[in-house]
Amino acid sequence: MGTLDEKLHSLRAGEISAEQNIQNFLDKIENEKYNAILYVNSEALEEARNVDRKIKQGRAGKLSGLAIAVKSNINVKGLKTSCASKTLENYSATYDATVIERIRREDGIVIGMANMDEFACGSSGETSYFGPILNPAARGRIPGGSSSGSAASIAGGLSDLAIGSDTGGSIRNPASHCGIIGIKPTYGLVPRQGLIDLAMSFDQIGTLGRDVYSTALLLEVIAGYSKREAVSRKVENSDYTSKLTPDLEGYKIGYVTEFEELTDRRINSEIKKSLEKLEMQGAELVEVNLPNLNKALPTYYLTTFVEFFSATRKYDGRRYGYKIEDVCGEEILRRIHIGSYISQKEYSGKYYRKALQFRSLITRELLEALRDIDLIAGPTTPKLPHRLGDKISPLDMYSYDVLTVQANLAGIPAGVTRAGEVGNIPVGIQLQAKPLEEQKIFNVMLALEASS
Amino acid sequence: MKITIGLEIHEQIATNTKLFCNCSTSYREVKPNSNICEICTGMPGAKPMPPNRKAIDAAIEIALMFNCEIIQEPVYIQRKHYSYPDLPSGYQRTSLPIAKNGNLLGIGIWEVHFEEDPGKYDPVTGRVDYNRSGVPLVEIVTAPQLHSPEEARNFLRELTKVLQYTGKTREEGGTMRVDTNISLEGGARVEIKNINSVRGAYKALLFEITRQKNLMTHGRSVKRETRAFIESQMITRAMRVKEEAEDYRYIPDPDLPPVVITNEKIEYIKNILPEAPHLKEKRFIAEYKIKADDAKIIASELELANAFEKVAMVIPAQQAASWIRDEVRRILEYNGISFKNSEIEPDYIIELLNMMNSGKITVRTAKKVMELLPELRKSPRIIVEENSWVKISDENYVEAACEDALKENPGAVKDYLSGKREALNFIVGRVMSKTRGRADPARVLEILRKKVEGVIK
Repeated sequence: MGTLDEKLHSLRAGEISAEQNIQNFLDKIENEKYNAILYVNSEALEEARNVDRKIKQGRAGKLSGLAIAVKSNINVKGLKTSCASKTLENYSATYDATVIERIRREDGIVIGMANMDEFACGSSGETSYFGPILNPAARGRIPGGSSSGSAASIAGGLSDLAIGSDTGGSIRNPASHCGIIGIKPTYGLVPRQGLIDLAMSFDQIGTLGRDVYSTALLLEVIAGYSKREAVSRKVENSDYTSKLTPDLEGYKIGYVTEFEELTDRRINSEIKKSLEKLEMQGAELVEVNLPNLNKALPTYYLTTFVEFFSATRKYDGRRYGYKIEDVCGEEILRRIHIGSYISQKEYSGKYYRKALQFRSLITRELLEALRDIDLIAGPTTPKLPHRLGDKISPLDMYSYDVLTVQANLAGIPAGVTRAGEVGNIPVGIQLQAKPLEEQKIFNVMLALEASS
Repeated sequence: MKITIGLEIHEQIATNTKLFCNCSTSYREVKPNSNICEICTGMPGAKPMPPNRKAIDAAIEIALMFNCEIIQEPVYIQRKHYSYPDLPSGYQRTSLPIAKNGNLLGIGIWEVHFEEDPGKYDPVTGRVDYNRSGVPLVEIVTAPQLHSPEEARNFLRELTKVLQYTGKTREEGGTMRVDTNISLEGGARVEIKNINSVRGAYKALLFEITRQKNLMTHGRSVKRETRAFIESQMITRAMRVKEEAEDYRYIPDPDLPPVVITNEKIEYIKNILPEAPHLKEKRFIAEYKIKADDAKIIASELELANAFEKVAMVIPAQQAASWIRDEVRRILEYNGISFKNSEIEPDYIIELLNMMNSGKITVRTAKKVMELLPELRKSPRIIVEENSWVKISDENYVEAACEDALKENPGAVKDYLSGKREALNFIVGRVMSKTRGRADPARVLEILRKKVEGVIK
């Protein structure tokens, strides 16, 4: 498989048609065994033929007929945006999310709706009402989550690119387990209008792909200010692809000792190899400390439970057929119950507000650590993906997120690319940068891509 | 027995678009669910747009009218969770106070904030109309410093006037919602919800005082509870315990950054603030030396008060005041419109009174022209000319009319001559109708008297 850069050239040169590209993926999806795609866009071929006409007229957009898989919590008008839950199994989106409008504007084609952990609550891809997702890169292992189907569709060759959402690691975790690239952008960089809520103050839409160029290209298309939401950042449109460079001369990259202590040593050794490669590309490595790291997970989960409780009040059975509590899986119910419990008047001071205070503390610490360096590099998850079907406790499940949640707490960008593998199981390296410095993350990813 | 009453008043803010989306706020005159989008219907994934600045500015202006201090720290918008069919997201967005510590008529205003209106649920059909969902509201909370239903009613009337003065709340009326709390000495505080008018508030409080006094005289205690006002029966009933014990689980809305009100904004709004009605009333009495009753009525509507000041620059103030109080109000009330909506120009009133004062038209004609102003929207001079209503100054014509009237009403003449002096007024009326009101009634009376008394001589 060539890089997407080459495919885009072929599409624009008319060597392959968008229709062929889409047909090719539709055939693969029909026979896929990963349970990655829940619904196929029946209009995809028609849309591809329109793009082919635009290509002939020389006015096709940046994505020129590439196939995009969309996580089932992002509204695509007319398609089932079910959040992989029985609660919304009959909900067809009534509008396009802002990111979908932007993808269409650049002639990307939504190939289908990707499977996921129910309501994005999970780190394994096992909680979907429509059954678990398989990891195309590591047989028998979980693909990670919650953007499991988005990652699996990339790793399994079911789409050119994918979009997912990341609340506490939901793009980075499956990207790491599936050996692909994924990025969670700065909070507020990509419009969330149309993304179904998990925890509104953390949720961010990001991109997944097989190579740095295309992952950056898709982010370029969906990023940027939108006046249709209140927390959107007023930033210029980004142009990551034209500024991509693997030259890391002058980059200071931090590694966090607390990360290492929490992580499986087999993973640490793969990360170490990547760090050495970065040094060879001209980066300087420095040690940084995050003493409050241990507070990140409880802070993240307490906040998430409360916001998720609030977000799910609309599924009261009056409008979408089912009351969420009556039909959801146990993880959803657990979160709603805890969220309802700790947001009660008598406790809110104790839990939710305390969590908000810790959040400021962790944010300050992380930004302080990043002040004199360009990025923090380290592992994505502390352990390798478990075997599909192995029962693990909720707390063990939550602990997958211990290295990814700080980026969401602080709203900073974080990306993952393949570092290596442990016995055929991919291991991803996580790169975190200051707000709006996605470009640096892509450059470091490119340096690793070039040296592999 | 000491009675303590506090009020929470909700009124819709008049903006073209809703609080968190660009949908139109008109919900009465359109088909159900026609002014809606994914945001105001809370579709999965929809987020609020930045709050409507005009709505926030209106709330600031209203707060400043009550001399409130505006909060300059970031103001969070909270989610208030409860389950009801008209609430599409399962929570209502409501801001923390934007202002505190104001007053009106000596009653403390505790705080002012803004929030969104829910949709409208019809329990009979089970249908929900979301046209109203997301319309901005302002809520005003008073200190518990009112001591009788009458005082509460007066306060609400004055408050309504103040809101109308700002022009920032919806004009069509009937959108006010009031919650009130009331306690009698020795009893617990009772809240009453579901009140939709000033009169409703008055009636609810009257009922509640009787109810609580009855309990107390029978040696029973007044429970702390929330009651609903049933307008059709003018009574209150206890709400279900569940309705009352609801925990709203307030959280700051993660989709909305806090609102920051700058000093510049406050100063700007202060500069365009209208004078409050009760202050205007006092000034009118002092400055124009008009009667207190007249001042109160004139100050009841900002546009009317402005018109008075314009007219009083040309016309003697008390005459202007009397005319506005009697004639202008009569016409507004007859047509059921405000002065603003009547589109009566102050210049027209000046022109009319000038014509009357200079004897060009009679008082009766002036009143008739006044009646036509809202409908014709033409200058009084033109109305008078088009209808040939200029006062008849031709003595012969008037005398001939008097002569006819006397001949036609010998009975009245006889009555007058036998001592019933008011009988002559009847004949004056006849003459006026013969001349279609264009004769000067004083002159007619003079002529008639001379003629009748001349008969005796």
